[in-house]
Amino acid sequence: MMASKLTRTLRDNWLLILIFIGLLVFPHAVGWLTGSSPMGVPRGDRMIMRGESVRWQAVLIELFILSILAMSYNLMFGFTGVVSFGHALFFGVGGYVLGLALEYTQMETGTALVMGILGGVAICGILGLLIGLVSLRLRGVYFAIFTLAIAEMFFIYFGRLSLTRAEDGFSITDLPQWIDPAQNRLNYYYVALILFVLTFLFIRRLMNSPTGAVFKAVRENEDRAQSIGYNTLNYKLLAITLAGMMAAVAGMLQIILNKKVGPEILGITYTVDPLVMTIIGGIGTFTGPIIGTTGLHLLETVLREATITLGPIVIRVTDIWGVLLGGIFILVVMVFPQGVVGTWARWTARSAKSEPPA
Amino acid sequence: MFMNQNNIILETHGLRKEFGGLVAVDDVSVQIERGSTHSIIGPNGAGKTTFFNLLTGKHKPTRGSVIYKGEDITNLPVHRRAHNGIGRSFQITNIFPNLTVLENVRLAVQALEGVGFRFWRQTASYPDYTRRALDILERLGLAAVATKAATVLPHGGKRKLELAILLAAQPELLLLDEPTAGMASEQVPELMKIIEEIGAQGDKTIVMVEHNMNVVMGISDRITVMSSGQVLTEGTPAQIAADKMVQSVYLGELYDLPEA
Repeated sequence: MMASKLTRTLRDNWLLILIFIGLLVFPHAVGWLTGSSPMGVPRGDRMIMRGESVRWQAVLIELFILSILAMSYNLMFGFTGVVSFGHALFFGVGGYVLGLALEYTQMETGTALVMGILGGVAICGILGLLIGLVSLRLRGVYFAIFTLAIAEMFFIYFGRLSLTRAEDGFSITDLPQWIDPAQNRLNYYYVALILFVLTFLFIRRLMNSPTGAVFKAVRENEDRAQSIGYNTLNYKLLAITLAGMMAAVAGMLQIILNKKVGPEILGITYTVDPLVMTIIGGIGTFTGPIIGTTGLHLLETVLREATITLGPIVIRVTDIWGVLLGGIFILVVMVFPQGVVGTWARWTARSAKSEPPA
Repeated sequence: MFMNQNNIILETHGLRKEFGGLVAVDDVSVQIERGSTHSIIGPNGAGKTTFFNLLTGKHKPTRGSVIYKGEDITNLPVHRRAHNGIGRSFQITNIFPNLTVLENVRLAVQALEGVGFRFWRQTASYPDYTRRALDILERLGLAAVATKAATVLPHGGKRKLELAILLAAQPELLLLDEPTAGMASEQVPELMKIIEEIGAQGDKTIVMVEHNMNVVMGISDRITVMSSGQVLTEGTPAQIAADKMVQSVYLGELYDLPEA
């Protein structure tokens, strides 16, 4: 019985498991292929983060961070139907709280890290709850505008707060060595990978639970959900609170990676990016936000540095990468109107005449 | 007097609803007997739908009260009414379009059991709910399409699904808002039979707003006629059919009242 359950789990998730194993060996594979060490280059008693492997680790860490952010946004936007334009708020506040704990308290580094993480997640959860309580009675675009206003308020406030060095922000210097991406990036890579996987598994488990069923019911038809007895406000509050807490984790990962906290982590980019990445990948699907993020982030990374040579014509993509990316977006949205995963599911469902995507 | 009180499941006292300067419902007092099928009819603009929405909790009355099983529910929110055993269907088909037919009904079963916040359990670990949902789908002839997305059902199927969701919540009092609205006429008898069966169970009370006079005359125990926001008259189908005043209200309307 146990064995059959295990084999079924393996069979249903073989592709995901394969990808996970791929990500586990990725730093070593890149290192082996490019002849660089995944640990960086030693200099004296320190490691210098130089070489292809550590460079690609940073790219993937950022990919994990943005994926967690997009997945959390999708939980609210794609699964529960709550449209917020203020998701950057949680990302930024999470980052600031951890940064403040590390740099502005007298706690020992390890303690500061733990307290900062717990505190940041808790504060963002409470913040989500409060914003929801005040504003979730507003529906649709009015709620979205309200959240945008709150997020911008925090952005401006932290941009002027002299304690946190206003627009310049402050550096993270006091970090436990084992997690420091400037010294032990490989460790940090695995920390980010594990959080990324846990977020994915948590959301999938949640959405296959009775609570997840109600989330979808709220998205599909809130009036109807109420009339069969659900207090939909409570479910929306739960969704925004959980999404806020996950976004806080993403923000914390980001400030450790950059080793810097500044108001830009509260900026509108961290609202728009997850929104766009979710739409492109597939709203209300499990893998959509990840696929959207991967596409966007890898394209950005590649295009930023690319140069195309066509005979005598040399195009420096660096100058026009934004335009190119925009063009690619338009194409993707036209080919995949329900996002990559959503449209794919529709195609396969049509050919198999089976159940629609969940 | 006291005995009679006990037999009343729902009553309204002087219910009034104003929208700006417009009085949509004006001093309506109605008593609904437990186990009965009670229809509310009237020409367009008579205030039926507004009155209905005061019962469901969608609107709050300007004045007056709604008493359900002896308890004042005038200001109770929609989801709390559902927990107390009041279920409603909608005039415009109101389902969860992108969920499967089974999920639509299972959500109502789950609501009844109050497990909505068990976020760590898996839906698959409640096979009983799935079975109960399938039983209801079977009863309404929807079992074959259980795994289809609700949105692909034909209109008649969606109306039936609407009823299935309602029944899954096991309400004592069913508020039906034009259950046959927009249905092809050949599908109406089937739905009528389903409603009649529900009504015949004895423990279920049905309050229905309906335009189709054949349906109303065929399955109602009592009929309340509304006009200009007020109760014009109330009686058995036979009494209503014979009522000269009712006939005059309907003059110019296309309904033809059958001889009872």
